[in-house]
Amino acid sequence: MTRFNSQWMNAWQDTVNADPTLKIIGRYFTADFLVGFDDQEYVVSVRNGVIQRVTDSLSIETPWSFALRAPTESWEKFTQKLPPPMFNDLWAMAHPLHGRLRMDGDVKVLWQNVRALTWMLERMREVADQVVVEERATRV
Amino acid sequence: MTAVHEPITGRYVYIPYAGYNYRVYYEETGHGIPLVCLHTAGTDAREWRHQLTDPDITENFRVIAFDMPWHGKSIPPNGFEKQEYRLTAKFYSEFVMTFCKALELDLPVIMGSSMGGNICLHLAVNFEESVRALIAIEACDYSPGWYINWLAHPHVHGGEACATSVFGLMAPQSPADYRWETWWYYSQGGPGIFKGDLYFYSVDHDFRDRCGEISGNVPIYLMTGVYDFACTPEMTEQTGQKIRGSETIIMDGIGHFPMSENPATFKRYLMPVLTKITEKTPAGVG
Repeated sequence: MTRFNSQWMNAWQDTVNADPTLKIIGRYFTADFLVGFDDQEYVVSVRNGVIQRVTDSLSIETPWSFALRAPTESWEKFTQKLPPPMFNDLWAMAHPLHGRLRMDGDVKVLWQNVRALTWMLERMREVADQVVVEERATRV
Repeated sequence: MTAVHEPITGRYVYIPYAGYNYRVYYEETGHGIPLVCLHTAGTDAREWRHQLTDPDITENFRVIAFDMPWHGKSIPPNGFEKQEYRLTAKFYSEFVMTFCKALELDLPVIMGSSMGGNICLHLAVNFEESVRALIAIEACDYSPGWYINWLAHPHVHGGEACATSVFGLMAPQSPADYRWETWWYYSQGGPGIFKGDLYFYSVDHDFRDRCGEISGNVPIYLMTGVYDFACTPEMTEQTGQKIRGSETIIMDGIGHFPMSENPATFKRYLMPVLTKITEKTPAGVG
């Protein structure tokens, strides 16, 4: 399995939805946002801190508020258990000095939910290893 | 049962500056060479609690950490509600030295981090006769990209946004409890104060063409952590090459808030610097 494919995204969704902290800090986090790994893009639908749906079936009618697009190389470093300097954080990668991740769209929604969003993305480091992920059914 | 107290003494002092009498809170411990600690943008002197309580530091240094006006327990001046807060290099540098003068500190060492590090370059140019040494942590000649409106916007929770924007500046190796304590400090800044400080940090502080003005008469130690994405080790190294009398120290496994995110790692790098400063100071001085 390649990281960041649909199984991996579903595994991340499960990890996020099992996280007790997001039940508290994500209570008002309701948004649809796009996550892009090179050309592979997903829209993540969050309702009250819970990821309800991840889809890669995108069209011009698929709504999203903000987008986080980065080369796979950036995400691979970000998701390491011990991420290297300059790749350990969403804003670190997106900061204008570095530009290793691009924030687009209605970024106000991003900043309104930045605490829960950051926590949610950091859970990518806890996604189970390859074998466990592959055992799961594809839901994307 | 005996209550456990820390050795820190906290006091309020009035600092007259530009026609206003600022009520300023400061904490201190120790004896010897005055070591004045400057907090980072949008927060307060609680960041220095570990160094204030470290006997290896306080046996030779009188460690003083104060809250700038608008920060921590130092209240803003009357009429603040009608102004947009924007820190300038002029106010910041002059206020730091006015504070030192009010406390009658004899040739203090100034140690600051982030904006407190950047201001050390201004102190080196304008106040070299009044300081013994400068320890500029996470400092460089130009640190753009932080003066952004989302940090002070009525549709965005300032505490959560400001604190989360700096969380990734800390190294993942730093203890989680200390990183979250630093996040907590940032969550408590007044509205618009972090952004206002960043006006100095990212706009008013531009030393790219001014490093040559530093004479080199005062020792300057530039210390930067490898996880600092606001002021990277490369940015500090390039600045250090332009400053006479400076020494650049890159710190592994730590980020933008060495004193509060990982005091043990920071101490390994700080103690040799403090030793150099004490060795340059005649016995009995301080």
